[in-house]
Amino acid sequence: MGDASVERRRVLAAAALGREPGVPGPAEPAGEPWRAVAGQILDVSPHLVIIETPAGTEERLVIAPWATAWHGADIAPAELPVGAMVVMRTLREGRVVERVWADTTRLTGTIQSISGRKDLIVELDCGPHRGHRTIVIPYRASGRLQVRHPKFEPGYLFDAIGVRRDGMGVALLPATSQPPYPARAVPPPPPAYAGVQQRIAGPATWSDAFDEEERGAAYPMLESSDTGCAEAGLSCAGLPYLAIGSLLQVRNVCSGRSANVPVVACGCLAGRFCDRCVECDTSPRGRVAELSPYSYVELGGDLVKGCFNAQIGLG
Amino acid sequence: MTRVLESQLPILIVLLGLGTMAKVITVRSGGEPGSLARLGPAVLMPGRLQVPSLLVCAAGEVFLATGLLLSTHPFFRWGTVAFFALSTYVLLELRRRRPDAGCGCFGEVSSTPVGLRSIGRTVALTGMAMVSVWAPVPGWTAMTHPSWLTAAGVAVLALLSPEIEELIDRVRYRAPCEQRRGPAESATLARLRASGPWRAHRDELVSPEPYDSWRELCWRFFAFRNHQRDDVVFAVYLSGRRPAVRMAVVSGEDSGSMPEYTPVSA
Repeated sequence: MGDASVERRRVLAAAALGREPGVPGPAEPAGEPWRAVAGQILDVSPHLVIIETPAGTEERLVIAPWATAWHGADIAPAELPVGAMVVMRTLREGRVVERVWADTTRLTGTIQSISGRKDLIVELDCGPHRGHRTIVIPYRASGRLQVRHPKFEPGYLFDAIGVRRDGMGVALLPATSQPPYPARAVPPPPPAYAGVQQRIAGPATWSDAFDEEERGAAYPMLESSDTGCAEAGLSCAGLPYLAIGSLLQVRNVCSGRSANVPVVACGCLAGRFCDRCVECDTSPRGRVAELSPYSYVELGGDLVKGCFNAQIGLG
Repeated sequence: MTRVLESQLPILIVLLGLGTMAKVITVRSGGEPGSLARLGPAVLMPGRLQVPSLLVCAAGEVFLATGLLLSTHPFFRWGTVAFFALSTYVLLELRRRRPDAGCGCFGEVSSTPVGLRSIGRTVALTGMAMVSVWAPVPGWTAMTHPSWLTAAGVAVLALLSPEIEELIDRVRYRAPCEQRRGPAESATLARLRASGPWRAHRDELVSPEPYDSWRELCWRFFAFRNHQRDDVVFAVYLSGRRPAVRMAVVSGEDSGSMPEYTPVSA
């Protein structure tokens, strides 16, 4: 299915049901809007960073005095290596950098095999759309990761945050407390009774399986006949069915910001995680959306923390 | 006096039988260990022992029920007392260690967390089993001669059963339509083709097959093209035998809409 027809779905559905077609983008700004900017670092100094954007243009951004950066550990922005791929949270329409994440990647999937003695080599099944991925867990991070992944064995879920190094994902921080069930045995949602709540709450996470600069979300509850994905439509959060092309309103409960984000992919892997987010408050169980890094950052999420507490509604 | 002693036997036999059935059904329908995770004393067992422990419990129940029904042997009578006394202890322990787990006494219907009522019920059943120990006749004689005391026992147990409310809730409420798996796309398309709006607009369409179809909440949408290259979209409600159908014509160029038809139910 082409992008054009998916974009069109929103307009057609709104026309048929006589409602307003929503507009993607931030809804009622709370505070100064944040904009995500991505690129490759060409040069960096304590006050200025020069990047090459994915479109190939060169951009110069001012680094705010309070800005922080992460590259496997918290560092000063001036220490960022040249050549690193960065995602930045900026103010003033993309001119002033406030937070930088360099080479940050997210390693989410089902454990397929574990090998190695000191540094562990783990093969992950990242779902039917993302294929397999081989990652490294360095010895110094393995204790920290295993303590949050008590079932560290094939068939169980894995979710970590790390950095890309030589084309390989290196897991450094756990992104969740591992759900205790095997990946194939997702618990059913709690029974839902009549009187549907308008908003559903749960953790919103991010994934780097989106195109660069894409604003969108992967949503678990899609009809499998519409997506051609046999594993869609699985979630323990009691989510309503939506389609690729639907507009999801996501509100970050922690930062108070909300945005309309189009559903662009099948979140069948996110649906397998029946976990909670403990950012600023404990959320109900079950991931409600997996956002692209751009949407996630603009809603005020921290890529290193892995999730924020979100409410979703239909945009 | 004898009537008093045997009056509770039928209840015990029926309850043990129901408990067996419910546990077997839970094991068979559960399939995946994840769905057993919230249920009953089995959660206190390690994962791979959960299903066997439920089955052993079910086998014990059916053994006791048969014994009570056919014989007057004190082994079955005291066995039943011990079974319910043990259940009371297990429920107390479950409540202390896993406050979120249901008692699982009647399989997955008993998924509400263990409360004082569930515990009160096993205490009452232990008392009933105690009274029945000295009954002079086997269960089947008592079954054929029920008394008012039997009815009173049933009433007490009904008051102490959280499952009854759960069953009523399930009968009254289903999952809301937007969370239910919808009918197949072809079935919904057939319903659209039986509707009034379809008959009114069928001749304008280039092809009777939709070029795109998707589901959002409780609606399934079908998009077609008409001879002017405009989009004709039908929305079919997914619940009910003669569902509501809405349609609109959206011009091919701009994104504005010209709703031609307002709500029509077929």
